[in-house]
This record gives sequence, C-alpha cells and structure tokens, in this order.
Amino acid sequence: MLLTEQEKEKALISQLTEKHAHQRSALIPILQAVQADYGYVSEFAMQHVADLLGIHAAEVYSVATFYQFINTKPKGKFIIRLSRDMSSIMKGAKVVARQLENDLGIKFGETTPDGMFTLEWTNCIGMNYQAPAMMVNNEIFSNLTPQRVHRIIEDCGEEFRSHRPTIGKVGDTFTNTLTYASHQANSGLKKALARSRSEVIGEVTASGVRGRGGAGFPTGTKWNLAASAKADTKYIICNADEGEPGTFKDRVILTQYADLVFEGMTIAAYAVGAREGIIYLRGEYTYVRAHLEEVIEARRKAGLLGSNILGKEGFNFDIRIRMGAGAYICGEETALIESLEGHRGEPRNRPPYPVDTGFNGKPTVVNNVETLATISVILDRGSKWFGAIGTERSKGFKLFSVSGDCTRPGVYELPWGTTLEQLLALVGGEGAKAIQAGGYSGELVPASEFGRVLGYEDLGIGGSVIVYGQERDLLEIAENYLEFFVEESCGQCTPCRDGNVKMLEGIQLLLKGKCSTRYLNELIGLGETIKLASKCGLGQSSPKILLAINKHFRDEIMARPIEASH
Amino acid sequence: MCTKPFSSDTSRAPVSERGHRIDIDTTADAIGASVTVNIDGNDVKVPLGTTILDAAKKIGLRIPTLCSHPDLCTAGVCRICVVEVEGQRNLQASCAYPISQPIKIHTTTPAVRKARRHIIDLHLANHYGECYTCKRNNNCELQSLAKEYGVDYFRFGHPDKPRYEIDRTSSSIVRDMNKCVLCRRCVRTCTDVQEVGCLAVEGRGAESQVTTFADKPLASVVCINCGQCINRCPTGALSELDQTDDVWAMLDDPTKHVVIQTAPAPRASIGEAFGLEPGTPVTFQMNTAIKRIGFDAVFDANFTADLTIIEEGTELILRLYKALVGGDKSVMLPQITSCSPGWIKYIEHFYPDMLGHLSTAKSPQQMFGALIKTHYAARKGIDPKDIVSVALMPCAAKKFECNRPEMCDSGFKDVDFGLTARELAKMVQEAGIDLPKLSKTDFDDPFGTATGSGVIFGATGGVMEAALRTVIELVTGKKVENFYDHADIIPVRGFEGVRIVELPITEVGPVPDILKHLLTDWNWLKGATLRVGVGHGTANARKIMEDIKAGGPFSTCHFIEIMACPGGCLGGGGQPIPTSPEIRAKRAKAIYDEDAGYAVRKSHENPQVWEVYKDFLPEGPCSHKSHKLLHTTYTPRGKFIA
Repeated sequence: MLLTEQEKEKALISQLTEKHAHQRSALIPILQAVQADYGYVSEFAMQHVADLLGIHAAEVYSVATFYQFINTKPKGKFIIRLSRDMSSIMKGAKVVARQLENDLGIKFGETTPDGMFTLEWTNCIGMNYQAPAMMVNNEIFSNLTPQRVHRIIEDCGEEFRSHRPTIGKVGDTFTNTLTYASHQANSGLKKALARSRSEVIGEVTASGVRGRGGAGFPTGTKWNLAASAKADTKYIICNADEGEPGTFKDRVILTQYADLVFEGMTIAAYAVGAREGIIYLRGEYTYVRAHLEEVIEARRKAGLLGSNILGKEGFNFDIRIRMGAGAYICGEETALIESLEGHRGEPRNRPPYPVDTGFNGKPTVVNNVETLATISVILDRGSKWFGAIGTERSKGFKLFSVSGDCTRPGVYELPWGTTLEQLLALVGGEGAKAIQAGGYSGELVPASEFGRVLGYEDLGIGGSVIVYGQERDLLEIAENYLEFFVEESCGQCTPCRDGNVKMLEGIQLLLKGKCSTRYLNELIGLGETIKLASKCGLGQSSPKILLAINKHFRDEIMARPIEASH
Repeated sequence: MCTKPFSSDTSRAPVSERGHRIDIDTTADAIGASVTVNIDGNDVKVPLGTTILDAAKKIGLRIPTLCSHPDLCTAGVCRICVVEVEGQRNLQASCAYPISQPIKIHTTTPAVRKARRHIIDLHLANHYGECYTCKRNNNCELQSLAKEYGVDYFRFGHPDKPRYEIDRTSSSIVRDMNKCVLCRRCVRTCTDVQEVGCLAVEGRGAESQVTTFADKPLASVVCINCGQCINRCPTGALSELDQTDDVWAMLDDPTKHVVIQTAPAPRASIGEAFGLEPGTPVTFQMNTAIKRIGFDAVFDANFTADLTIIEEGTELILRLYKALVGGDKSVMLPQITSCSPGWIKYIEHFYPDMLGHLSTAKSPQQMFGALIKTHYAARKGIDPKDIVSVALMPCAAKKFECNRPEMCDSGFKDVDFGLTARELAKMVQEAGIDLPKLSKTDFDDPFGTATGSGVIFGATGGVMEAALRTVIELVTGKKVENFYDHADIIPVRGFEGVRIVELPITEVGPVPDILKHLLTDWNWLKGATLRVGVGHGTANARKIMEDIKAGGPFSTCHFIEIMACPGGCLGGGGQPIPTSPEIRAKRAKAIYDEDAGYAVRKSHENPQVWEVYKDFLPEGPCSHKSHKLLHTTYTPRGKFIA
C-alpha cells in the first residue's frame, strides 16, 4: 500500500471514530464501514481503530475474527455465499454448488486469481421457501438452478464492468391472510399513549403474549421487570437477528410491516421508560436496511419518533439500526448485547438478566420482531380479543415459516393450538416422515407424533417448520445440523465448543457405518451433558437431533453397519 | 486485606460478569443482606450475591474449577463447576451463579458427576502432550482433575499430533497452544489485570484459539514479558523460557566462575515448591542449596537494591533541585521507578513519549551484573569473560531485560541468565536436595548481607518505603524512627492498586558528605510536601499514566513507584504457581518480617554500599562513572506493529 493510501485509510478511520464519539460500542459498525471501502479490514486498519477507541489491537482482532462477515484478509469483489440450510440442500444446493465451482474454477473457501469472486458456504439466509438461495455481497438470489447461477455470475462481471450495482432477485412470499395487514397504522400506539404506563404493561400481561423468538418468556413480565428496575437509562432492543435455520417470518414482517415493529418498540419504550431503541438486524438482511431507514425517517417526520411523541409531553424515543455481521449466536439476547457493545458475540452468564443488567449495564428489554409487531395489534384490539385466540396456555396467533418437502412453503399465520397434522395439510406436506419444529435448535418430531400441538404446552416454537419427506436420510440431516452448530458455537464453553465436534465426528462415523454401539451410547451420554451443562441455548439444543434420531429412528442408525459391511 | 478480584475495577468484562463479590459487605448481617441456602442438605447463610462456589467453600465443600481464578472476573466458560439448582432445567456454573434467594443446591448428583467427567474427557481429547514431558507435571489443574475424577481412558480420543507450532520467539515466555484448555485466564490476565491486551481469543467455535494480534509471534507484539499469564495458566500451555540446562552447562564447566544474585521475593516463595506454606522464608537454606548445586558465589541482590536507592534517590533530589531551585522546565516530574522490567517494556510500548519520567537508574539486577563483571572481577582477579552471572528473580521479564542490547556496560553481557524461582526450584530438585531441611549459609562477600530496605523491594510500596527511609534521614539529618515507629512507613504499604502519600518536610539538616558534590543545603526543601505514589499491576500503571497526562493528582507527585506485577515482585511472573491474593499477602508478610529482623534497615546505612563508592565509584552517586555502569536509556517502542 502506498503511503498516501494508508493516510487516506487513516483519515477514514479517524472520521468514523469521531462520528461515533470514540465509543467502543461502535467497533463493529466502524469495521463494517472500513470494509465497505477497502473490501477487508487490514492489520493497519485494526490497529488504528484500536488506538482511536482506546482498546487493544488484539481485542479488535479478536472481535473481527469472530464475525463471519468481517474479513481480515482480502476477498473477492463479489463474495458469493450459498446457503446450506437443510431446505436449500434438499432443493439442490449441492448441484448449484458444483455449478458455481465449475463456473468460477475454484473450490468453496477460495477466491478467483483475478480477485473477482470468493465462494463460501453460509448458514441460513432466510430464504428457505425459495431454496436454494445465495447472497452475492448483500444481494439475495433465490430459487437457484445451475442455469440461473451461471447467468448470475456472467451478469456480475458485466455489471461490474459497466459500474452498475448488482441487484438481487427475490421471489414473492406466500402468506395466508395476516392480521398485520388489516392493522390500522399506529392505532395501538395511540391507544397506549392514552393510558398510563402500568396500564399498558397490564394490558400486555393480560393478553398472555409470550416471546415469539422461541424462548417464550411472558412479555408482560419482562416489561414489568424492566419498568420497575431503577435506572436513569433503559433500552428497547428489537432482536432482528433471525438466524434460526428455516425461519424467515421476521424478514417478511420487516419488509412488509416494518411500521408495526417500530410501533411496538415505541409502545415498549413508553411502558418501561426508555428513550433509546436499537434494532439489531442480521448481516444477511443488509438489503432490508435502506427500507427500514426510510420507515424510521418517515416516522420521525410524522412525530411518531423523536421528542414528545404524538404530543405526549416528555415522551421521547428514537430508534437506530445496528447491523450484525454473520453470527447466529447473536440471536441469543445477551450475545446480542455483547455484540452491541462492540464485543465478540458471546453469551453472558445469567443471572443477572438483561431486564436488570443489559446493554451498557442498564435495564434492557430485548424483544423479537414478531413480538413487537404483535404488541401493536394487541394494544389496538385489546387483550380480550387476543386472548380469545389460541389455547388456555398459549394465547393468540403465531407466524410460522414453513419450508422443505411441502408444496406450499411460506409464512403462515395460525392460532396457537394448531396440530402438526393440520399444518401439514395446509402447506401440502402430507405423508412427511418427520418435522423439524423450531429450527435446528428445536425438536425433530416423527410422523407418529404429528398429532402434537403447536403451543407452549407442547411445541412453543419460534416459527421455523422444516418438513422432511419419506426419502430423507436423517443422519445426513443430523450431520448438516451439527456442522452448523460447530461453526456457529461461540467457542467459550467446553461442552458446546468441543462436545459438538465429537457429536459431528460421531455422526460421520455412523454415516460410514463405523460407529460401535458402545461409542454411540457414549455419544448419547455426551449429548445429554452438552444439553445440561452448556452456557446458553445453542449448546443446550445442539445435541437434540442425535438424541431424537436415537429415540425415534434408531433403526436408521443401526441399519448402517450392516449396509456398510457389504 | 483486599479480597475483591484484582481486576474488578479495570476490567472490560460486562458489568454482569465483573465478579459478584465486589460490592458486598461480607460482614453485614442486616436483614435482607444475607440469605440461607441449602447445599447438599446443609444450610449455609451467605451474603446476597455470593456465588454458589463461595457458599460451598463455607461448608468445606470444594467444587472443582478451571476457568475461575480469585484474581479474575467471572467467566463461567469451562463448566467444570456445574451444579444442580432445584427448579432450574439446566446445570448451573457455580462460579457464575450469584445467590439471590433461598435455593437448594446439589453438587454431586449423577448428572453433575457425569457432566464433569465429560468435560474433562473433552479437554483430554484436545490436549496434546504427555504429562511426563510437561513442566507442569504434578502442578497441573487438568491433571489433578483427571485424577480426581478417575479418568482411566480417553473416552473421546486423544490427539496424536500437535495442532499448533510452539511459539518460542519470546526471550521470556513460551506458548504451547497444544496444551491450552481455552479457560481464558491468560486473556483475562493480560487484558484486565495488566491492560497489556496482547493475548486475545481469535475465531469462534472449535476454531477459536488464544493468540496474539493477527496471530503474530509473541516476540513481535506488545507483550511486556510480565509472565502473569504463566502464573494463572492451569496447564503447561504457558511457561517461561527454561534456561536451566544452559545454567547447568555453565556449572559443569570448570573454567567458568558462576555466581548468582538472588532477589528478595523468591526467598519468601521458593519453599512453596517444596511443600512449605506460602510466606515461609528460606533465604539461608536456599543459599546452601545454591552452593551445593555448584555456584561459586551467592550474592544478595538487595545489595544493589540499596545501591539503587542511593542512585535513584540522588537522581530524584537532583531533579527536584533543578526544578524547584533552578526552575528548569525540562525536568520531568514525577520521577518513576525503573526496577521492574515488565513496567519498562509497558511504558516503552504504551507511553513512549513519557520515557523521560523514568529514573535512568538500572534495575538492581542489572546494576549487580555490571558490578560483578567489573568491580568483583577486579577484586577477585578473575577475567570477566570467565564469569557467568546468573540472577535468581521472581520475574519472567528479567530474562528479556538481561538480553537488552544496552545491558553490556561491563564490556560483556552484564547478566547472562535470569532464572525464575520455578527454574531454581527445579534445579534444586534435580540435584536431589530437600531444601527446607538444609542448614543455613550466609551470602558471600564482598557484597555481604544487605539491609531491610533491600528486602522490601519485593513488595509493592517497598521501593518507595526504602527510598523514603533514606531520603528522610539524608534531608532531615534525623532518624526515620522519629517520624515513623520502627521506621515502618505504613502508609505506603498495602495492596490497594494505586495510592498517594504526602510527607511534609518540616525540618532540614545539613547536607551529608556523600551529596556535597551536588548541592550545598536543603533549605529549598524546608516546608515543602513530598508527594509520592505507588502502583502495582500495569492496569494500575495505566491509570497513573493517564492521570499524569490529564494533570490529575499523580501529576503533582514527585516520585512514583510502579511494579508491573500485582503485589509487586512477590507476585511476579517467575514465582511458584499458583498465585492468589491470599498467597501474595503471606509472601508480603514474610518479606516485612524479614525486614523487621534486620539489624540495618536503611539503604544508606549499608556499609558495603559505601565501600563500593569509596573503592570503585569515588565520584559518588550519579557521577560520570556511575552513570556509565549503573544507569541506562530506554527505547520508545510504541504499540504499532508493522
């Protein structure tokens, strides 16, 4: 690099750190901005960022190498990331992968000699119902076929030469009639502001709504804890790090009903007394960002954000967007907060909980996109209306992202209490062998249990439903899951970091028919430990697939040694 | 004594993980301040916020730990300390679980035992290396756990080849990441305790590893060689560069005259390697052992500690004189001590534009080195090229220091080898010597036994106290005992991370002979208030330096002592493993007890020091010759790596 080039980079970094008031919490946005200009974050850049933020270069390096979408080495001008979630694999991602390799003349993980293309696998990009899908830089291309990717690569080169931006091609999403569509804009917020804070929390509590991200914590209780925590500053965070493989309902909400989400955040802010809101948007959804910025700006102009919102004296609240950088684990709320503070996205010890000690050590409410959108509807139509939908213990309606072996994949709004059988009939997945309910960290349900109910009393899932047809090899599926968990484990705790590797190696032995029954039993025991002893939900869920196969489909495992011996 | 984690107020850890003991008054018995929990059927009352781990200790229950360390903030990552809490679906890490309500805890259920066993198995599946060939054999926490939990085979395999190349680039520290268990104690030490930030975790998941900036060799990053990471590593992943074989070779060579200087801190600790309680002083037994191993002479490094006081104290008086009387604006005040090589490298990296604050006096180790190959060689009639000068130090950074290119003022390498207390212990064991049982041997002449002031160099605040004892007497002409009982200057002692002490100078006496070549009277000091500061651990050093830059209270100090390691040298990176606040406090007590037992307790009263000035440095302290031999220069390194 020429000296002048270095000085230019230095000036950019100074300007960026200045803009963020030298706050460490801005580390990731700063690295992203440097990368946007230079394609990667050099050692030179990392040291200057460290210097200006008053932290150590090794810390910056540590953070940068944690996130998949931050490059510390140069990569191609076009980074192609092909999704390898099960839905994509089932719809032919491997054939598409071979086509990409042939077209580019490189393997996955490599960059073309001319520096134009880098080819990588990536985990679920929220396009499962239009699988296979891939990202070219921040653009999404879905419904891929070998012919289509061939054309896309040609287009990339052409557009690059003529200085045109590459534009992604996303098909329409199938949705059944969503309640959100009939929501009258900001009616929930208006009704909330007409009531006292405690009345708003009371309404939310009475509705019985629970977190839609998958953990199912009662939202009213969470708000109440945050509202009663004593602190000068509180935060509302919208968790839009929709990383659970097979989930895309948050993306659909954000692209079609973003106003409801911001309305919900504003109601939450009013209820708990927060002035600042942050939406943590996963790196894979960078292409949605511009739209969200527009919506936020429009809300500011309309007096729905900012000072004295809707004329309510002293109620000030604003929302900003923070981008994730390719880390599934940041969907865990404390990891998300760590990431917001400019750290590696590693889950914290709990207790204490974010409602007490969250972002910047302050009480923080972290709610899922769908939860917040639902709140807007609840505040408008009332807890009675909401409570009338669903079951005794699972109130209201829920969005499900359905993909895999079914004829009508898409986003479905259903009342809690729907059985898997009913869902399958709706989406055209009859005759399935098993359903992965709740994404990779959820539960594999065999056909014999399709009478089970979607709801907190049974399957209180975050929304991902992947349908597996009769011909699917469950061990291959387990291998795919474990590859995912091994890659996405943050690496801090032993059972998850090292245990998942052993689980994956064991599954590969099983696939080869080379796993002794004794070792299989060891693995099952290890799986129980990983589930029990891991620090966060990732490790607590990762072994479930093998445990489920062992329980429901043991003959699929046992048959292999015989097969392989021939 | 301060029991909160050493790094609790400097840590970058999230607020939620800075250690739950911080703000808890353990004596409080007020309603609501404590809670009764039930552990394995036993009720125990603990202050709110106590961790399960600490509560269990109260009833004599030892829950195994690996990532937890009393000096560090909570991590909760190794999961070996998991227990069952009734009502919780998952096992909880007892080190990270603050008790806030009456809960029931079970620490040895089948699930817990199985989980612990699995965690050990998983570590062993990644831990490359055999115990026989490991420096930490018999002092390894992973090995102990494997034994405790009866690991009888490698359930999930065992690596048969190394994953990482061993980093031997540093002159002080060896990193063998094949033995790393990713407990991150070193990272927390480097970042939180020391604020050096040279170690960090790279990557994620199974690919994550502890490394340096951009995975560079240790020698080319901002490592200050303090070795604190070694002291907290549970396995053999971090160790000092072992030079015992080189020293043995010198001892075996009949043409070499091998001498050793011994620093004060190892004497209070080396017994730990022989099963003695921390803080059992074995100074003179150690001398016997050293002689038996084959060293030709054993010297007390306190001699040059006393010499340091004279040189550094004179330098301070000169700086003050120039600044206060001469109005010289170029004089850098406060003057900061230069004994600690970890601190020197720290300031060279992080405050390269403030090197002028450092005293130019060499550390006692290097002063001694320079004298041995000049003064001692001449007296003994030995060709200095045949002298091998070894230093027994509590320190990893001393290895780096003696290899600095400028440390050759005798015309030879002033100190050939810096040995840690651990290395010497190993040599003594190798020679089959049971150190505690040995008779006592005194130090060799011509340097003899030093003073109590030299001894306390080993504890934080010790250099300051030694300097003050001398300065007070030189300036007032009166005994220090007139101002402080037994000459114990208590205000500068203790384990607080940073402290400032003010000493008003109410009276002055005549200028003693030794300083008459430099000034004529003390009247300019009369009525002044001497302000001194003390800091230990480089995270605290950083606080002091930032405060000086910002014009805070430390900028108004005249003299500041900084030691790179928590507790000073007694907590040094070359001391026996393990370390903890309790162990350091015991070592400190041993050091202050030894000081109190000395007949001569002030550096300027050391007769051998004056003999050296008379015979060898007749122009006195801070003269031309003493500058050549006993003072040094520093290198502005900066923190940027090309």
